[in-house]
Amino acid sequence: MPESTRTMAFRDLPGKQENGSASIGNGKPPAAPVSSPGRGPGRGAAASLKRFLSPLLVLVLWELVCRLGWIEPQLLPAPSSVMGRLVEAASGAEFWHDFGITLYRLVLSLCIAIVLGVVLGLTAQLSRLSAAMLDAFVRLIAPIPKIALYPALILILGFENSSKVALVVADATFPVLMATWAAARSVDQKLIWSARAAGTSRANCLWKVTFPAIVPTVLAGVRVSGVIACVVVFLAEMIASTDGLGHMLTVAARAYKTVDMFVPLVWICAVGLGLNALIGYVQRKLDHGG
Amino acid sequence: MNAPAAAPKRAKALWYENPVVAMALVVLVLGALWALAAWRLGFSSFPGPVAALRALPGLLFDPQALWAMALSLGRMFIGYAWAAVFAIPLGLAMGRSRAVHEFLYPLVSLVYPMPKAALMPILMLWFGLGSFSKIFVIAMGVSLPLLYHSCLGASRIENKLVWTAQAMGMGAVSRLFRIVLPAALPEILIGCRVGVVMALIVMVSSEMIARQEGVGNLLFTSMDMAQYDSVYAVILILAVMGVVLNWLFERVRRRLTRWAESGDDVAIR
Repeated sequence: MPESTRTMAFRDLPGKQENGSASIGNGKPPAAPVSSPGRGPGRGAAASLKRFLSPLLVLVLWELVCRLGWIEPQLLPAPSSVMGRLVEAASGAEFWHDFGITLYRLVLSLCIAIVLGVVLGLTAQLSRLSAAMLDAFVRLIAPIPKIALYPALILILGFENSSKVALVVADATFPVLMATWAAARSVDQKLIWSARAAGTSRANCLWKVTFPAIVPTVLAGVRVSGVIACVVVFLAEMIASTDGLGHMLTVAARAYKTVDMFVPLVWICAVGLGLNALIGYVQRKLDHGG
Repeated sequence: MNAPAAAPKRAKALWYENPVVAMALVVLVLGALWALAAWRLGFSSFPGPVAALRALPGLLFDPQALWAMALSLGRMFIGYAWAAVFAIPLGLAMGRSRAVHEFLYPLVSLVYPMPKAALMPILMLWFGLGSFSKIFVIAMGVSLPLLYHSCLGASRIENKLVWTAQAMGMGAVSRLFRIVLPAALPEILIGCRVGVVMALIVMVSSEMIARQEGVGNLLFTSMDMAQYDSVYAVILILAVMGVVLNWLFERVRRRLTRWAESGDDVAIR
């Protein structure tokens, strides 16, 4: 039954920017292509080598093109010089200040988004009215480009942290909300009925029955949210440039320092991949634990 | 039992379960909240919804603003078309062949968390200040969801279909376009819908960063000139664009894939 495997997939969540690419970053292929040769457990090293083959190839080609002088270094610096600048920047306190600020905003807004998304997603289970309202809310608000709200947020909350955090929360809440909702709806109704019959209140049911059952799916939503949060916090820092990694890029662009432009980009990618790996690790732990 | 067990209870829809009514209610509530917040805060830079709506005709009849919107939308669709032409065949190939998958997948997952619009300063160095860099960045943003969904769609096709075509002597390329593409179409169209929302996001954010022309620039120029009503009016226009585009693509998708869906379109989509 191919349909039953589809029900829990991410395509069931409404169209939000990166949720389409939800599992692109999760370390394993979305589905095994047909012509798969037998991949035994003993081939771990070869498999991991293969995983790094194409990025390495691209890096070598890039380096070669730059070394041969086909492209001016002002336009495209070689990966080696970007690496050098990465190390150089990491030894200065200024960089760590910007990095810390970005990380702080990221973590803070992701936490708010997770709480908000889970709470909103669960309220849909409380009554038919709340479900209908939340459905309409998601359909209306999810396809809106939230970044367009940023000027308004700047006007209301100022240029500093709060407007950036608000923007990230606005963007990162939806994947968690939709994952929570989709998961809560597919919880086995018999479990809830038994708990209700045993005298648990409706609200208590949410906390004690539904919540533990949906954690794995919610984590998948959090994973998508994490990457979105990285992207949005960076863009917000570029647009209203006060501090943070995005600010570093804007400053470097104004001075036409191409090498410096790549440094914050590499870092934000690393942060996104790290976050993705971290949540994936938690997911796997939960899978094995229970 | 896998089916959502709440289904039998939904026999009779209540008045607020009509999607149009529910959306109207949500819009009313959000508008009321906005008005309340604007009134309580009393900032000159935070007008209420009425003032924003009143600024709307001024924008919609201003040729400059209209031109900015047309430019942005034009670039968006060109970028989208580019992405479709490149990413869909690539995604299908990724879904069908292990070698292509193994080569491309690490690259794709590396660039996945990168903010595409943040590449604008670098792209502008390469391609100049014209529309090309903006179209390019939109195409980059859109191609990820397209790639992912076409890969997913292609990898779920029944092998017998492809093997039969192969046994009848169909070449690899024509198999890709005549067997795999139609069979993966439902999933590809989902990617298309995710992509159109993505395109709008990348379009706005790249224009906010590059700030030459287009809707994103319109937002910030009105902000710099303290025309706060029009800032909010532009935001409203963009919001409506997002909702309408999403709705249109969803309509088209359902029309084209009626044969594949089993009518399980419940609440969230």
